[in-house]
This record gives sequence, C-alpha cells and structure tokens, in this order.
Amino acid sequence: MGSIKRRPRKSEAVEDGFENLRHAFHARLESERVHLVSLSAALARAEENPAWIFDDLQFRAHRLQGGALIFEVTDVAKAAHALEEAAVCAAKARAGNTDEKVWEALVTLVRLMGDTRAAAAVAQV
Amino acid sequence: MRPERKSNALEDSSADLNDTILSQRLEARSPCRVLVVDDDDLVRARLTALLRMAEYEVESAACGEDALRIMSAKHCQILLTDWQMPDMDGLSLCRLVRTARADSYVYVLMLSVRDSKQDLLTGLAAGADDYVTKSAPVEEILARMEVARRITHVEKSLRSSNRENRRLSVTDALTGAYNLRYLMKNLPRELARSQRYGHPLALLSCDIDRFKHINDGFGHEAGNDLLQALVARSESCIRKSSDWLARVGGDEFLIVLPETDVIGAERVAEKLRKIFARTPVPTHAGAINFTASIGITAVEPQHDIKSAANVDDLLRAADRGLYASKKLGGNHATASGVIGSALKVKSKKGGNNGIN
Repeated sequence: MGSIKRRPRKSEAVEDGFENLRHAFHARLESERVHLVSLSAALARAEENPAWIFDDLQFRAHRLQGGALIFEVTDVAKAAHALEEAAVCAAKARAGNTDEKVWEALVTLVRLMGDTRAAAAVAQV
Repeated sequence: MRPERKSNALEDSSADLNDTILSQRLEARSPCRVLVVDDDDLVRARLTALLRMAEYEVESAACGEDALRIMSAKHCQILLTDWQMPDMDGLSLCRLVRTARADSYVYVLMLSVRDSKQDLLTGLAAGADDYVTKSAPVEEILARMEVARRITHVEKSLRSSNRENRRLSVTDALTGAYNLRYLMKNLPRELARSQRYGHPLALLSCDIDRFKHINDGFGHEAGNDLLQALVARSESCIRKSSDWLARVGGDEFLIVLPETDVIGAERVAEKLRKIFARTPVPTHAGAINFTASIGITAVEPQHDIKSAANVDDLLRAADRGLYASKKLGGNHATASGVIGSALKVKSKKGGNNGIN
C-alpha cells in the first residue's frame, strides 16, 4: 500500500512561506554585513570626504531597520536605527571619518548581524 | 425551573444570538484590494503574504510611480505604503492620491520605521488615514487593516446610497421618468446649449385624454398602469442617447428632443400618438385603450433663437399646442410657435393631426 501524502493546510503553507522569507532575510543580513564591513574599510580610508559613506550608511541602516522590524529581529533593528541616526548627525555636522558615534554604531551593528546570522544558521541545522 | 432562572436563560440565549449575528457580520468580509508599496522586496513579500492570509486581494509596488500606475489601472481600496523610498516617497504618494480625482475613497495606511509623534503628525498631514510603525506586532498591523476595510466598506455603501438618493430625487417613483425637479434644472441647460451652438430644440407636451374618467371608471391602479405604459411606449419612440421625458403633473409629460426641429418633432409626435392608440394596455382592471393629446414646439437657429425663447416661453408654447389638441377632441398633435420667435406654425393635413 502506497503512502498517502497529506496536503498541507493553508496556514501551514503560509507558515512555510514566512519561513522561506525569514531565511531570505537572514541571507540578506549576511550580504549587508559584508557590505557594511567594506563600507567601514572605505570610511577608514576616506580622510578627506566621507559624506557619501555617511549617506550610504544612512540608507542601508534605514532599510535594514525596516526589514528587521518586519521580520522581528528587534536587536538588529535597534542597532540599525542607532547607526542611521549617527550617520545622519555625522553628515549634518560634516564630520570626518573618525566620528566616534558612527564607528560605535557601525561596529555594534556588524557584530550583531554576524551573531544573528550564526544563530539563524544553527537554528536551521 | 424558577421564573427568574428562566428569564436569565432567555437573556443568555438572546445574548448568544446577538453574538452570533455580530460575529457573522464581522466575518462577512467584502472583497478588498490592498496596494502594498515598499522599496524592500522582502518586506513587500512578507506583507503581501500576511495580507493574503487575512483574505485581502493584494497588489504590490516597489516605488511611488509604480503605485500610481497600478492605481490608475485598478481601484485599490487600501494603500499600505512605506514612508522612505527612493524618488517618490510615501508622503508625496499620499499627497498625490489625495489630490487625484478618484471614483471612490482610497484609505491610506502609512507604515514606517519612524516612530516619533512628529512623524505620525507629518504622515497624517500628508493625507494618511492611519499611521503604524514597522515595530508594531503583526496583529496590530492586521487590526488596523481591518479598520481600513470596515471604513472603505462603509464609504462604498454611503456612496452607493447617495447615488441612489440622487437618482430618486430626480425620478418619478411611479413611472421611472424624470420628475419636475429634473425638468426645471435640465431644460434651461438644454435651451442654453441649443442657443450656444445654434442647434434646434423641440419640446412635446403630452397628456392622456380623459384620464380622470379612466381613473374614476377603472380605478387608480388602472390609471397608474396607463401612465407606466405611456412612459414605456414613449421611451421606445425617442433616442435614448439624447431625448428624455419628465412627468410634470398627474398625467402630463414633457418630452425634450435636443437637436430636433419642428418637422422632426412632429414626426415623433405622430409616432407617439399612433403607438399610444395602437394596442390596449393590460391593466389591473383589464385591457384599456387610451389616446393622448400632444403639443409641439421648437426653437430653431434660423429664427434668431438667441432672442427667441426662454424656458417659460417654450413651456407655454407647448401647452398652447396641447390645449389646441384637446380642443380638437384629443388624439391630436398640434404644433405651436414660441412667442418672440419667427417660427411659423406648421400645418400638416390629414389624419388626426390638428394644427394650431
């Protein structure tokens, strides 16, 4: 007698859909983390005019915050918010590449994203 | 069972019934299309999945321009939009939606990471109906969407009842023809249009012969049947796109024929006179024959229509024609010129066509 495959219920299918989206978001966290690391390297080098880096940081942090809130990764959302605010202030103040608040927020966020990604990978296994 | 217990039991069952009715009302969801706008594809996908699970029909757009394109192609009752997006942000989108002429209301729910009081006020000032932060739990977002759905549903019902009220306010309930209010509003417009473009305009005044006798002899219901038959038969003889008729008294009707000169009007009047008399009307009191008298008038460009007529002149001339038809014994159509215009009274020999 052959096995009968149970058809997933609608709510289960939706949950699976959510899970797939959550995985996609965690994958994006990793690519964003890599990008932020390269931006931090660029910031370290940009002694003259780091304004475009602040703008980019602001944009990425804002986007990250939105996604993290929707996918309920609240600590990343908070850290991204802190980086967005620091980048906005630094851009307004025409700060140099050693702005402490930007560095602190950037390092915190990158570290947190790494931890979150690792935790998600463990959970997936 | 003691009486008070019984009464409590009855109250409980009626409460259950009310709860059931309430829950049925809440469950009876009207179809509702939501447009989700967010530049982040994952956020868009997550919101879309959530809303579809909550039985919304969902469209999505990555930017304000796409959102406007979708909204111009299909009506979305609810717009769920992010604030910060490249190019057109949510505030600008919201303002554009509010200034656009739409057939029905679009409920805007702004969803943003911005969570200060000032941000909320800015969002509402731009035209959003509600504002929710992305940090809100999913249940709250869905609850606010339900509010939006209820409000759009109420708006739709109000709009449709307004439309119906407007229709009823200009319609005669018995016959479905326009009423006097419609005539007094729209006849001056027709006249002004004919004067502006130099086009003719004709008017027929129509009245059932010996209607009082019919009412007295066969009863009001039979009389009502005749009035309905007169309207139905008249409508079959006039152009649906431009001509119209209004009931202006008990059994008196006016038929407005734009871009029709007196010869054309006479032709229509003759057609009407014949079709009224041709076959008996089935009524509550059995089949009844009826005839009608018709007065015809028209203003025509070659007769200096700018100075020729006002609405009162036109109505008076049609009435004169009707009166002349009555004097000839009814079942006549008589043309009468408008005072002040050079329109000559047309005469047509033969048949039952009486000429004033």
